[in-house]
Amino acid sequence: MIFEIEIDGTVRSVSVQPIGDAGAAGGLFQIRIVGPGVGSEGARDPFLVDARPTELGLSLAYPDTGRSVDVAITPRPAGEQLLQLPHVDVRAVLDGRRLRRDGADGGAGTGEQRVAAPMPGRILRVMVERGQEVIARQPLLVMEAMKMENEIRALRAGRVKDISVAAGHSVESGRLLLIIE
Amino acid sequence: MPASRSAVKVLIANRGEIALRVIRACRELSFGTVAVYSDCDRSALHVRAADEAYHLGPSPAVDSYLRIDKLIEIAIRSGATLVHPGYGFLAENDTFAAACVEAGLTFVGPDPHVIALMGGKTSAREVAVAADVPIVPGTREPFDAGTPLAEIAAAAAVVGYPLLVKAVAGGGGKGMRAVARAEDLADAVTTARSEAGAAFGDSAIYLERRLIEPRHIEIQLLADRHGTVLPFVERECSIQRRHQKVVEESPSPVLAPETREAMAAAAARVAAQVGYTGAGTIEFLLDDSGAFYFLEMNTRLQVEHAVTEMVTGIDLVQWQLRIALGERLTVAPGQALTPRGHAIECRIYAEDPDRGFLPSPGLVRALSVPGGPGVRDDRGVAACFDIPTFYDSLISKLIVWGETREDAISRLRRVLDEYRVVGVSTTLPFFRWLVDQPAFAVGRFSTTYLDDILATRSEPFVLPTNDDTLDALVATAVAGWLRAHRALSAGGSVGRAWRDTGRRESLR
Repeated sequence: MIFEIEIDGTVRSVSVQPIGDAGAAGGLFQIRIVGPGVGSEGARDPFLVDARPTELGLSLAYPDTGRSVDVAITPRPAGEQLLQLPHVDVRAVLDGRRLRRDGADGGAGTGEQRVAAPMPGRILRVMVERGQEVIARQPLLVMEAMKMENEIRALRAGRVKDISVAAGHSVESGRLLLIIE
Repeated sequence: MPASRSAVKVLIANRGEIALRVIRACRELSFGTVAVYSDCDRSALHVRAADEAYHLGPSPAVDSYLRIDKLIEIAIRSGATLVHPGYGFLAENDTFAAACVEAGLTFVGPDPHVIALMGGKTSAREVAVAADVPIVPGTREPFDAGTPLAEIAAAAAVVGYPLLVKAVAGGGGKGMRAVARAEDLADAVTTARSEAGAAFGDSAIYLERRLIEPRHIEIQLLADRHGTVLPFVERECSIQRRHQKVVEESPSPVLAPETREAMAAAAARVAAQVGYTGAGTIEFLLDDSGAFYFLEMNTRLQVEHAVTEMVTGIDLVQWQLRIALGERLTVAPGQALTPRGHAIECRIYAEDPDRGFLPSPGLVRALSVPGGPGVRDDRGVAACFDIPTFYDSLISKLIVWGETREDAISRLRRVLDEYRVVGVSTTLPFFRWLVDQPAFAVGRFSTTYLDDILATRSEPFVLPTNDDTLDALVATAVAGWLRAHRALSAGGSVGRAWRDTGRRESLR
């Protein structure tokens, strides 16, 4: 099974192949990552991981290096996963709705960002225009929610393809605000 | 101790960590406790901790925690005799205080007319002037909604630029705008008025000179009903984001002992001037020459009261309650004014610091709170609690104590590393970054320090290592595989399994 996973603007495709009796209770998996290389184990292709479900996510152990780590995994709106590692939070966007069977090639994905309202609130300002180029973390719009003004920023660079809200609109959590391609 | 204490019952007209803080003080005094809750707070920690709990109404604050009529009715129904307002919500609402008094209840705080007097920013400034306490130069009379801009512009020219447009009824940075040049005044006045009108129902404003890189330093005080006013060692609250305090400490890393004494005396004069009773705080701005100016008074307990408790050993909330019952203050002035060691507080919010501190409400799946020496964690959230979107997203106030400021910072670094909140993004990574900043280490910062940094910063506060990124990729992919595997192996109920998976995924 192949997953396209975006972390901090970089999309990689990760293939997961169960080994032996790996199943619902976890077990040994063969991992192959296509995309910019990462980590001690990422240098090997493919590499193995022993992954076991925990109450909050997964316990990972890499048999080749002996390294082990506990990861808490929480699904967030818009396909985002919050991964909480011992000292750092990592957000990954899983294009899980487009997951494919093995055999398909691991392309880099379309890279389209669909920016959704992270909470209910009111749009105060829209700071970009359709067609505008934006850089990673550039503020896109300002929402008032939870008694505060909150900037919604771009995850990564791109061009604003569509804006579906305007200042003054009240939006529900998860409502599509704009699309960056 | 009066034997009648066990008959005292306190209604806490608030929620979250401050409701819990008041419940703890009540327990230690053997008082009964009554909690109130909105729809979304049914299983909140404060509800679980109190002796009794009553439903207020729907989740929006206007339908629950701001409903004066319901709060009074619940107080009477439950047999409570005291009402503690906490901070926020109705804590500085003189109508609420008056309604309590009228219903025969004791409001834990100053008299309603004192709340009204000190709550109006311009009238509070007049009190400070009368008490011979310097104020930041500015306009003395408020401009109501109808005042023409030309009149405000003329006054602005006298005050001088840069200046601040401030809502008379403001607080927490709402209804406040900085203006650098005369041509920007009109816009600032318009936004300040509309924000203040929406937030406080009062769009009156005034102008104040903007000091360059001032520090925010405040004096806690207690005043009993027998004429004793007790000022405490100062708190330093200059680490702010958009006028909201983020880190507070006591004592200040820069205040000279003679300035502390002068500031404490000034604060006591302001309180005495209005016949203040209960706990309150006088906020000052300190400029780089060491001169200080009255900023405003908060006629309630403050979020950051705990740092004062840590360095003086005095329980401010217990004293609030004892003063409300008419007891005399018996604390020695020297104990209140002389800090023992150093305390620092971090406000841990469910906010994502790497996305402009965007609120990140949702289900807290697990919490692991540090312990060990010198640590105090005042939290209002437990695991399995869904942080609501209706109120601010404070998870906890983490307070550390050390013999010196340096010790306190080392301890803070250790404690921040131990703290885990699973399920939502928090401001913990930001604090882990902040404690390593040289300016923070030496205490060289002003109220604009943080906003100046944040305005230009774009990289994350804590960067994941290559191994972290790999672990995240592997975990995401394997978790995805396990989900699909479970769904597909659910046999006849595949459709249902997919739906359930989808539902889980859509959880905030």
